Amino acid sequence: MNPNQPSKQNKQSSQLKGFVFKTLLLIVIVFLLDFTIGTTLKYFYFKQESGFLYRTTYAIEKTKAEVLIFGSSRASRHYNPNIFSNRIHLSCYNVGHDGNFILYQYAVLRTVLKRYHPKLIVLDITRGDFAIRQNDYERLSALLPYYSGHSEIRPIVQLKSPYEAFKTLSFIYPYNSLLFSIAVGNAEFNKQKMKDINGYVPIEKIWNGSMATADSLPNYPMDSIKINTYQSFINDCVSNNIKLVIVCSPYLFKTTNPDNTINLAKAIALKSHIPFHDFSTDTIFVNKNQLFADSIHLNNGGATIFSNKIVDKILPF
Amino acid sequence: MLFNSFQFIIFFIVVTSVYFLLPYQKRWVLLLLTSCYFYMSFVPVYILILGFTIGVDYFSGIAIENAKAGQRKWFLLLSLVANVGVLSVFKYHNFINQNFTGILNCFHVSNPIPYLSILLPIGLSFHTFQAMSYTIEVYRGNQKAEKHFGIFALYVLFYPQLVAGPIERPQNLLHQFREKFEFDLERIGEGLKMILWGFVKKIVIADRLAIYVNTAFNHSGQHTGATFLLATIFFSFQIYCDFSAYSDIAIGTAKVMGFKLMVNFKRPYFAQTMAEFWKRWHISLSTWFKDYLYIPLGGNRLSAIRLCMNLMVVFLLSGLWHGANWTYIIWGALNGAYLVIEILGKKIHLPFLSSQLPQKLVRIFKILLVFVLSSFAWIFFRANTVSDAFDIIKKIASFKGPLFYENPSMLIYSFAGIFLLLLVEMKQEFYTGSFSFMHHKSWVVRNFTYAVLIIILLVMGVFDGGQFIYFQF
Repeated sequence: MNPNQPSKQNKQSSQLKGFVFKTLLLIVIVFLLDFTIGTTLKYFYFKQESGFLYRTTYAIEKTKAEVLIFGSSRASRHYNPNIFSNRIHLSCYNVGHDGNFILYQYAVLRTVLKRYHPKLIVLDITRGDFAIRQNDYERLSALLPYYSGHSEIRPIVQLKSPYEAFKTLSFIYPYNSLLFSIAVGNAEFNKQKMKDINGYVPIEKIWNGSMATADSLPNYPMDSIKINTYQSFINDCVSNNIKLVIVCSPYLFKTTNPDNTINLAKAIALKSHIPFHDFSTDTIFVNKNQLFADSIHLNNGGATIFSNKIVDKILPF
Repeated sequence: MLFNSFQFIIFFIVVTSVYFLLPYQKRWVLLLLTSCYFYMSFVPVYILILGFTIGVDYFSGIAIENAKAGQRKWFLLLSLVANVGVLSVFKYHNFINQNFTGILNCFHVSNPIPYLSILLPIGLSFHTFQAMSYTIEVYRGNQKAEKHFGIFALYVLFYPQLVAGPIERPQNLLHQFREKFEFDLERIGEGLKMILWGFVKKIVIADRLAIYVNTAFNHSGQHTGATFLLATIFFSFQIYCDFSAYSDIAIGTAKVMGFKLMVNFKRPYFAQTMAEFWKRWHISLSTWFKDYLYIPLGGNRLSAIRLCMNLMVVFLLSGLWHGANWTYIIWGALNGAYLVIEILGKKIHLPFLSSQLPQKLVRIFKILLVFVLSSFAWIFFRANTVSDAFDIIKKIASFKGPLFYENPSMLIYSFAGIFLLLLVEMKQEFYTGSFSFMHHKSWVVRNFTYAVLIIILLVMGVFDGGQFIYFQF
């Protein structure tokens, strides 16, 4: 027997103990830093009183408006809630969210329905909403700060990846990439700058880019999860006796062929006896660059005309 | 299975744990099976292509070793034709066919050869080149033919470097599969550090920069010169961080288990000449081309004209290796041209560069020049088409229009990532012996450094980032 053997084994054993101890300590340090920074970010995230992130919190946790407008950045730029309130005589809030589509909207609807039942919901659909795009799932990260407090949105957030439940064990992860946005959102100078009108974000700009006469839309495959989510959105409104109106708001450019999403959204809506208004080819807006801020967003002037047009369609309510 | 995924972290922990529990003689079985699983997690059926390559090269290697002198080259040729054949079918068929169609159309003739609707197998160029290096080395007598089929299959399939290198040589890797690697905590720690830094480079820097780069380059008609200038600079850092991160994770993963893979990057953006840049960038591929193409063509012992021609051939093929698209071929040609100009320019004496200016300033100037030249070439590498690339260059030259950014944080995170990279790499390049957080003698400092890097990952990382750029090659 080698006399050095026990001492070598002892040395290895103490090395292993040291390694395990240091690893455990690393885990403790990471946990403490994660907890401290994550809790701080959470505090300042929910302390915001204006801006893009605040509008999400307001939509999910606070609004009690009788009329809600759902959609993407096109919704938040196209529908002026004040016009709705003045003409329908109901309170109105625009919960449109930049870069998010039907999955996000359905998650917000579920949080709203848990608190109260609005009287009217306007859902804005955009071209290509139902297309297969991984990006749309990744954008559900906008809901991560609400993941722990809202069990109703968890199944939707988990569409992003099956590991979201595990990832959200981290206190920082829900606020990943939001450090500067939270800092700016809490800054004094930003509070005035980012003021919105009940969720409506007007753009005071006139489109001076190129004027294409007609774009050709590709015949893209559609995402069954998104289509089913759209159907669930309709079903939840119907089962809760909420009047639902689905709209495709104006585009600057007409297309040579109809969009797959708009066609299908319209067919599903009509089958469920939900009114569907397609403004995407409306001649009042098409090719009228003075009404647009860019090729897909109306400016404030355009939004005013459009909001009145939509209210005309909804009235009498 | 991407390195930057939860699946991989679980896979790595399980495989490594079982690896150390097994007797060392049986570890190759585990590595072979798990490497197959790793590759099959992308497109399972493509394992058959690897099986074909492995089979041909295994038998070719033995045949080369056993054959008489005159017959050996035929077995080598068989192996090379089989490997290049696989590459040609899966990677170049449609490209060649497309160009052939273009030529025939000029004569109003239709092309009867059909296009193949197949996905390019992940990392095909990497493992094909690694397999080819084996038969070439056996032919040259530098490597004995591997008789153990399982060990040879593992040489081609070894999961850490299977899909994006480093492209190993048999002399370095094959014998390691028979070695007994102890559970060495120091080595394991070093490997884990490399993996951690690889994750930071990929998730915090490369994937963050990719957001801006993709927005600009994928909509080349909609953006301005200022935007493209910034996107080009960002892409230079993105591709470096993306690819070198993969190498770091690959080398670190292998190191944890005891394997030594070759270094693939040595801070290329601190190179002072283009020749030096290629000694620091994707070293395993550069040396592959040097050993198996450039030297057989004559190496440096040729007239200046032949030397320049050979360089152009090597770089054109290097471009083609990256992808079946004219953008890659132009990228290769540009880099070849840079080297040719550098060789010819050595004869021109620039006194103001050598005497009057301080050496530090000259050094900075040279580093910046190499960065500008390589970044210019990257435009072709990243652009979707050649005409897109020329449009982008035209726009950058005119430098008109505002700088695009969705929100200021988009740029702040991007610059913060580049700053972190430069800070670490400047320290490694210029202050090698000085203070180091990652290798500090106090484990408390080291532990805090790892913790801070993990927190940076959580705060600034892009967790929905895509796959590694080099997977497509």
